[in-house]
Amino acid sequence: MKVSYNWLKQYVDLEGITPEELGDRLTSSGLEVEGIEKTAYATKLVIGKMLSCEDHPNSDHLHVCKVDTGSGVSQIVCGAPNAAQAVGKKVIVALPGCELPGGTITESVLRGVESAGMICALFELGVDKKSLSESQLHGIEILDDDAPLGETDVLGYLGLDDTVLDVSLTPNRADCLAMWALARQTGAVLNRKVTLPEEYKLENELPATAKIEIETPNCAWFLGKVVNHVKLGPSPEWIRKALQANGVKSINNLVDISNLVMLETGQPLHYYDLKKIQDRDITVKQGLDEVYTALDDVDYKIEPSDIMITNKGRAVGIAGVMGGDDSKIDESTEAILIEAASFDHVCVRNTSLRLNLQTEAAQRFIKMIEPQAGVKAMWRSVELLTKYADASGIEETVVAGNLIDGVKTISLTLDKVNSVLGTNFTMDEIVEPLKRLDFSPVTEGNTVTVTIPSYRYNDISLPEDVIEDIIQVKGYDNIIGTLPQMPQTIGALEPMNKMGRQIKRYLKGCGLHEIYSYSLVGKNQLDLGVMPLGEPIGLMNPLSDERKYYRTSLSASMLENVSYNAARSASDFGLFEIAKVYAEGKEEETRLSIALTGNMVQSEWKKASVPADYYAIKGIVYGVLEELGYNANRLTVKENTECVNVFHPYQSAVLCLDRKPVGILGTVHPKLRKQYDLANTVLCELNLSAVEQAHAAKLRFTAIPKFPATGYDLSMLVRSDVTAEKILSVIKKHGTKLLKESEVFDVYQGTGIAEGVKSVAVRMTFRSDEKTLKDADMKPIVADVIKALRNEISAEIRDR
Amino acid sequence: MENWEKLRLEMLEKINAVRNEKEMEQLRVEILGKKGVIQGYMSRMRELSPEERKEFGKSVNELKNSVETYMKTVHAKLKEAALEEAIKREKIDLTLEGVKPYNGSLHPLDLVQQEIEDIFVSMGYSVVTGPEVEINLYNFERANTPAGHPARAMQDTFFIDEDRLMRTQTTAVQMRALEKYHDHLPIKIICPGKVYRRDDDDATHSHQFSQIEGLVVAEHITLGDLKGTLELMCRRMFGEEQTIRFRPSYFPFTEPSVEVDVSCPFCHGKGCNVCKGSGWIEILGAGMVHPKVLSAAGIDPEKYTGFAFGVGVERIAMLRYGVDDIRDFFQNDVRFLSEFNREE
Repeated sequence: MKVSYNWLKQYVDLEGITPEELGDRLTSSGLEVEGIEKTAYATKLVIGKMLSCEDHPNSDHLHVCKVDTGSGVSQIVCGAPNAAQAVGKKVIVALPGCELPGGTITESVLRGVESAGMICALFELGVDKKSLSESQLHGIEILDDDAPLGETDVLGYLGLDDTVLDVSLTPNRADCLAMWALARQTGAVLNRKVTLPEEYKLENELPATAKIEIETPNCAWFLGKVVNHVKLGPSPEWIRKALQANGVKSINNLVDISNLVMLETGQPLHYYDLKKIQDRDITVKQGLDEVYTALDDVDYKIEPSDIMITNKGRAVGIAGVMGGDDSKIDESTEAILIEAASFDHVCVRNTSLRLNLQTEAAQRFIKMIEPQAGVKAMWRSVELLTKYADASGIEETVVAGNLIDGVKTISLTLDKVNSVLGTNFTMDEIVEPLKRLDFSPVTEGNTVTVTIPSYRYNDISLPEDVIEDIIQVKGYDNIIGTLPQMPQTIGALEPMNKMGRQIKRYLKGCGLHEIYSYSLVGKNQLDLGVMPLGEPIGLMNPLSDERKYYRTSLSASMLENVSYNAARSASDFGLFEIAKVYAEGKEEETRLSIALTGNMVQSEWKKASVPADYYAIKGIVYGVLEELGYNANRLTVKENTECVNVFHPYQSAVLCLDRKPVGILGTVHPKLRKQYDLANTVLCELNLSAVEQAHAAKLRFTAIPKFPATGYDLSMLVRSDVTAEKILSVIKKHGTKLLKESEVFDVYQGTGIAEGVKSVAVRMTFRSDEKTLKDADMKPIVADVIKALRNEISAEIRDR
Repeated sequence: MENWEKLRLEMLEKINAVRNEKEMEQLRVEILGKKGVIQGYMSRMRELSPEERKEFGKSVNELKNSVETYMKTVHAKLKEAALEEAIKREKIDLTLEGVKPYNGSLHPLDLVQQEIEDIFVSMGYSVVTGPEVEINLYNFERANTPAGHPARAMQDTFFIDEDRLMRTQTTAVQMRALEKYHDHLPIKIICPGKVYRRDDDDATHSHQFSQIEGLVVAEHITLGDLKGTLELMCRRMFGEEQTIRFRPSYFPFTEPSVEVDVSCPFCHGKGCNVCKGSGWIEILGAGMVHPKVLSAAGIDPEKYTGFAFGVGVERIAMLRYGVDDIRDFFQNDVRFLSEFNREE
């Protein structure tokens, strides 16, 4: 909210305190000052009198004006459309050398005519355009006739020598939306005297004639008061200036007073034109369903949940948001009905949001007004109306609903204060700030009892709340850092957290880059799910269709990231991400996604690189799982038949751990590759939650063998569709205990080999724990193996 | 009789003339081979008388030994020279790039998260995580933010249905932990994780970001303990000379609530463009756990107190690494990622 320094100064002694200092002090007490701006800025102004205004000989919109500046007559070229109307009037003149927000004014020649300055509009002095009228926005400012000619303190004369502090209020300090409450807080923080208007005594009031009914639980109280005679006119200058500093336009004395009192007390007010309120009868209710024209002349669709002010069944106001068009104050207004009420903040918020009407009134109801705000606003209204609108025929206030005084008492001990803060304050040291806060502290032994004024009703209810106020006023610099004195605890990562770190370390070592992508995706990405977890969880209020669902798989995001980088000339790289996936009715899963594209390059000039193919990703995934303690012999692959829109059907596999599927890996489908404009790319998605469930092996040392191993190579021709796994399983079955390892070290298909056949070379490693093996020991075993290979997979053994 | 000495000198001359190992081998065959010169003399011995033979044989042997020894010496030298030559030819361009083992990178947000986790784990905190798809109860209600509370408007929420939402704060994890461990106090945890707000993405806002929240609940925990703990964290993160300050703030689940500033690590408090001249940088929000939050979880606020704090991981990473657009973290440009190839 905007706070005028000059206005605040009327309530609080700010002698010797600059706006900047005030800003710092308020910020350190919890009212964050986000900006400090002068209302207007200009260095060399003078009040002048326009003597003449003639059309510029070389322009169809410029004028050549003669202006008496008090110390001589200047010729100034002026472009304002209202320049001619200013002849004989007082105007604001910026003399050469004058610095304005838009630049420095110099003597110049404009289209052949000399000009010694500028005649100013208010916005040219930096005045907030929101507080200016349409004519002020489109023309030079024409001053009152009694403006002193030659006066150089023009900003002071105009009341524009003010500074506005932009205070950002936290929800608990909405009380400071009321100037009076803000003044009290300022006084407490600065330890300065605060002088607020004294309560205006409402005496000799006429009996009330208004009838007020509340028919909804969402209006706690409603104060109504009839003022039978008012005189419409302009507001006094001080009110106009106060409103201007707060960015509120001055309209007329009645509207201005209602706005001013709202700014002072925090109570939104509405003044109805009394003659438009039939029988002076007001009913507050919900349940209306109609189109309603508010005082901004716009039609709004009212729903039953909106709280409405009605008169004989006819809506006259959207409660807490905006009044009605047909009962608003206008030139014919001679009597008014004042409304000061409390409406439920949730209802007002919903209405205000739905109708997109974020009015000053709505803002205050949403942040909750204090219980006594209405009472204060009522006497202040009467006071100002009497002074500035010749109000008379003032009736008693009609009170509907349950009005409370909102005063609380809270007791707390000195020990409590010190034990929460970790301080060693004495009783005197905490009583002092409580006095400054007007909390009327009363001490008894170790206990202090405070009385909380009504304007802090919504914020303070517990001793801790009072403690916060104490330390805010005393300053947080009083807190000295210590470490908790508590039983020892042993810190630890969560298992998944630990596993994630292990994987990330491993993959970084493989040259891959970790990515963070968005969890929220669109329908297109859902369609590219790899092992989609289930029915996607969708948002009720997404920001866009592209971020509407929680993803059920990571692969689509991964592909997009590969594609993004490929489009920026990156050709050889690998990415990975560990993130969660969700689906309706399913437990969340943690997944690992990996992609490789192009080549995995170690050295360009040494030609040390591995193509990013199925075997590259398989190697990395097996590497990850072995790193985590899952031996390769617990891992198997089987054909991928499920996810064939993302993967190449013949170069992808379902990965199983202990025969249970945990992931899919393989080459990206050529169609998809084309769609994303990718080079050869491989992808894997792994369900880490499932992996975590499987029992990881403990790292155990096995003694180094005492006897050397002997290798035995076997080359064979088999049908092309015989897998390495099959060959090795036959060898393993017949290799006896002496066969420790067997691996395929060469595969060849092509020239010299018949169609449909491939040549496979296998190395078997034999070792005994009892002796060094000789050829004779292995011969019968190898013979058995060969026989089995011939029988079981029709292998043709090639000569060694 | 032969002039042995002359013969010997001639042979040594020949050996001297040899330029490489190949010539040496030829010469060796020529002189010492089966059909060589020496062997030639040997075979002539049969033609001599026994007296002559003895004398002759001795001379031939001496010749042979002398030549052989010399040949070996020269050969060794040649070999060495040849090796020298070979080594010379193996001169390489020392400036060509080495073959590095692969090295990828960890995401900057992960680097920061791990660093903060490690600091707190070393102080006895346990890492606890929770669901990103949350329910009102833990995200708001237990955190003293019932429906209609003005603070709910502070965080525009992605709702899934009446009850479920995308968590707006990792405070939700703390609320779950309070419930779970309310009868196993003390609690000393940190909760890292992704959170979501209904904000349009721009240079400083992201609809998805990461937080790490800390929570300690035990007997006699004070606001001073919070300050001391955060001081330690800031010193580990930004340097031992850092100081922190508290400014009043508001969170529904803490009372008192504070914003925490760290002295600007770039200008050491003198004022620079990072801290906008103030010498301080706001890095986190914190406070004493609200008594209502404790009671709602079944913990007696008269007996136990606690502190809580929440750090924005992106905020720290932006400060640490000088990243000025939050969207860079989610763009995942390999050129950006590659810069984060080590831990500090």
